[in-house]
Amino acid sequence: MTQRLVLDHITAHYGSTRVLEDLSLDIAEGELVSLLGASGCGKTTTLRLIAGFLTPTAGTITLGGKDLTRLPAHKRDIGLVFQNYALFPHLSVADNVGFGLKQRGIAGEARAKRVNAMLERVGLAHLAERLPGALSGGQKQRVALARALVIEPPLLMFDEPLSNLDAKLRVDMRVEIRQLQRANGTTSVYVTHDQEEAFSISDRVAIMHQGRIMQLDTPEMLYQRPANAFVARFVGFENLIQMKVIAREGGNVTAEAAGGVRLSLSADRFGAIPDRFILASRADGLAVTDDPNADGIPATLGLRTYLGRAYQYQCETPAGHLLANGPLTRPFAPGTAARLVPVPEQCTILAPEDQNR
Amino acid sequence: MKRFAGWTLASPATLVIIAFLVLPVLATFWTTLTTPGGPLEPYLAFFGSGFRRTVLWRTIQVSLATTAIALVVGFLTAYVISRAPRWLKSILIIAAVFPLLTGVVVRSFAWLIILGRNGILNNFLISIGVTDEPFAMLYTQGAVITAMVYLFVPLMILTLAGVLESIPDDLIQASASLGATPAATFRQVILPLSVPGLIVGAVLVFTGSFTSYATPQLLGGESVMMMGTLMYQQAMVTFDWVSASTIAMVMVVITIAIVLAMTRLARRLNPMAV
Amino acid sequence: MTRSVHPALIALAVLVFIFLVGPLVIVVGAALSDTSYLTFPPQGLSLRWFENIFEIAAFRRTIVTSLQIAFISTGIALLIGIPAAYAMNRYRVQLPGWLSTLFVLPVLVPELVLGFSLLKSVAVQFTIPIYISLVIGHTLLVLPYVVRVISASLAGFDFSVEEAAVSLGSPPLKTFFTILLPNVRSGVIAAFILAFITSINDVSISIFMTGPGISTLPIQILAHTEQFFDPTVASVSVLLMVLTVAVMAIVERTLGLTFLAK
Repeated sequence: MTQRLVLDHITAHYGSTRVLEDLSLDIAEGELVSLLGASGCGKTTTLRLIAGFLTPTAGTITLGGKDLTRLPAHKRDIGLVFQNYALFPHLSVADNVGFGLKQRGIAGEARAKRVNAMLERVGLAHLAERLPGALSGGQKQRVALARALVIEPPLLMFDEPLSNLDAKLRVDMRVEIRQLQRANGTTSVYVTHDQEEAFSISDRVAIMHQGRIMQLDTPEMLYQRPANAFVARFVGFENLIQMKVIAREGGNVTAEAAGGVRLSLSADRFGAIPDRFILASRADGLAVTDDPNADGIPATLGLRTYLGRAYQYQCETPAGHLLANGPLTRPFAPGTAARLVPVPEQCTILAPEDQNR
Repeated sequence: MKRFAGWTLASPATLVIIAFLVLPVLATFWTTLTTPGGPLEPYLAFFGSGFRRTVLWRTIQVSLATTAIALVVGFLTAYVISRAPRWLKSILIIAAVFPLLTGVVVRSFAWLIILGRNGILNNFLISIGVTDEPFAMLYTQGAVITAMVYLFVPLMILTLAGVLESIPDDLIQASASLGATPAATFRQVILPLSVPGLIVGAVLVFTGSFTSYATPQLLGGESVMMMGTLMYQQAMVTFDWVSASTIAMVMVVITIAIVLAMTRLARRLNPMAV
Repeated sequence: MTRSVHPALIALAVLVFIFLVGPLVIVVGAALSDTSYLTFPPQGLSLRWFENIFEIAAFRRTIVTSLQIAFISTGIALLIGIPAAYAMNRYRVQLPGWLSTLFVLPVLVPELVLGFSLLKSVAVQFTIPIYISLVIGHTLLVLPYVVRVISASLAGFDFSVEEAAVSLGSPPLKTFFTILLPNVRSGVIAAFILAFITSINDVSISIFMTGPGISTLPIQILAHTEQFFDPTVASVSVLLMVLTVAVMAIVERTLGLTFLAK
């Protein structure tokens, strides 16, 4: 049992503050989508809206074609895993897991059987009679997971489920969550502020900022082809150079940055290049060379750090402060005059920022 | 050195409690043990007297009724407060605290005006034609219970509002997400998690009612004699200090027994303490 | 937010608050009535019953006595209660367990029993004046409030701050006044207010401590109601309420009322 979740033009307010603005999201059956962003970006609000703890001021939420927007939380049939587990402290592990079944009128043998099967799956059958207070963080997390899964919900939601665990356990648990989710094929929404966690676990990730989705894409696409400057910075593009086209010649373009820096770019690689754009890259998207004739940005090299696969340089250029990598074979001394040559495969072209604000 | 410092600072209060509370109360106990009839005689006399047994039984009844009503009313009200928006919450808490800070005499006196023969309630009942003759509502068990409930509901509300406030919102949301209706959440999550608070509130109200004086005196008078009023009468009207001491000891033993038993129960039933 | 509460519950809560506040409104109304008997709603507004309070010597005297006793006993309770609360938080490990039990006793022992025992075994036994006995009784009455409230505010205090001050050369006594007291200031104020209100309203202890020319206000109110049924008592009650409101306003300004719920 798994269903498609659609959020259609959702707007939400806390009092008079607007926290979500015209947000749309379409999650396919069996897909796991993460909502990723800093605190206050609206990811938790989105989750609470879907769960039914908040009501949107505009827009609709449908699950498997059924309109949930005005349905009270307890009728939504959504499995929820909370950040601090939210286990019932007065109920044993088994009773916690059986709580949802009890509400559905499943009693006696039938309930016990399903609870036991679920506890087996998360490896907690031996702790069934314990109270939550006597469990470790990882065990609590498993109980919370089991409790949400056992009701076989058409939608599973996770609210920063791993943020209270230590680093090692976090990695193990996220693999476990992904395996369970895959095995059941349950449509899932996963809220987190941890980029690595979101990228490693999700089919697609929605990067959120100020109540809007900045980009919804696969982790690979987000990592390599951010759609805008915000996402580019978010996924670690250090160099964002504002440029203006000054000449077009066949497929090639000559563009100018601040300080009169000129670069030629091939349309083969970048497609249609607008008149104004941002050339964005990580440090490895700019190669350091001391060849004075290279087609690159003139720079004075500053502090050098050793990265293992390359040397990285803090560079002062007419276009501003940039980060670039140089070969291991030739370390350059600070103060060296050099050129930073864009590596087309590692660079991407973005619309100027004022346009996507 | 540290031990010395601790003792020095704690000793004045310790001495005051020992000298003016422990010793005098022990002396009262001693009084009941050293009568000419032997150590058990005052207690046999107390439980042998039909009138005293009636008073004790009535006191227990009134206290139990007060506790039960205050529990239900206080819990439901505290629940509503805990669900109220923040601004309303503080107003409601103030409304509950205010009567609590107003004295017992003032609050009992209010019920004299309401329940008297020419009181507000009787005037109202006559004006709407329910009755021609005013009802005799004062000096009845009902009047004492009403005033005691009035006295103790704020205490119950405050105790339970604190308990309900400490139940994380997450648990209630988790319950809803698992399909529990608000009523089911109330029964299966909120109520069991409030049990320790309910016990504490019940102990406060029961012992408070059980040892009360001003309210039964004003609203019960001679006809609804309770342990407190009986003890006062024995001590200050008939000057039978052995009898008064005996009543005092019965009150102390019952109070302490209930407090100890119930706090132990509350501790055992507290799931958070695991 | 799904904070929906069943309408019947809301209705019940409204009734409860009417039940809580109504009687006090009635007392105020009755106090303002121009009639010579207690009635509500007031018939003709008048302040004459307020004036009447001060024409009755017993009321004048007991108001003064009650205020004096409340101030003195609260003062003593703070004086001995603050060091005790401090010792029990700071030197918990060094002090025996029965000590904290001892400080719970004033709550466990019914006030009536305490009052009677003080009368019998202290006041009469050692022929101590009624006034002194009242001070002793009220001090014991309010001491638990002081110890509990101060302990609560000390519970959040990091005693290593104090050690830091001492290590920087501050003498212990000075440290107590400059570091510790400012940190528990709100606790001291709350303790004072709670203790004061408790003392001024007390019946169960004071009822045993009356003598020729000495009594407290609540006892005088009780005595007056047994003889007269005029609005004077309502006016005194209003006076006490005004005092409470004033005190609550101070609490609200300094600490917020939720403090009292602890």
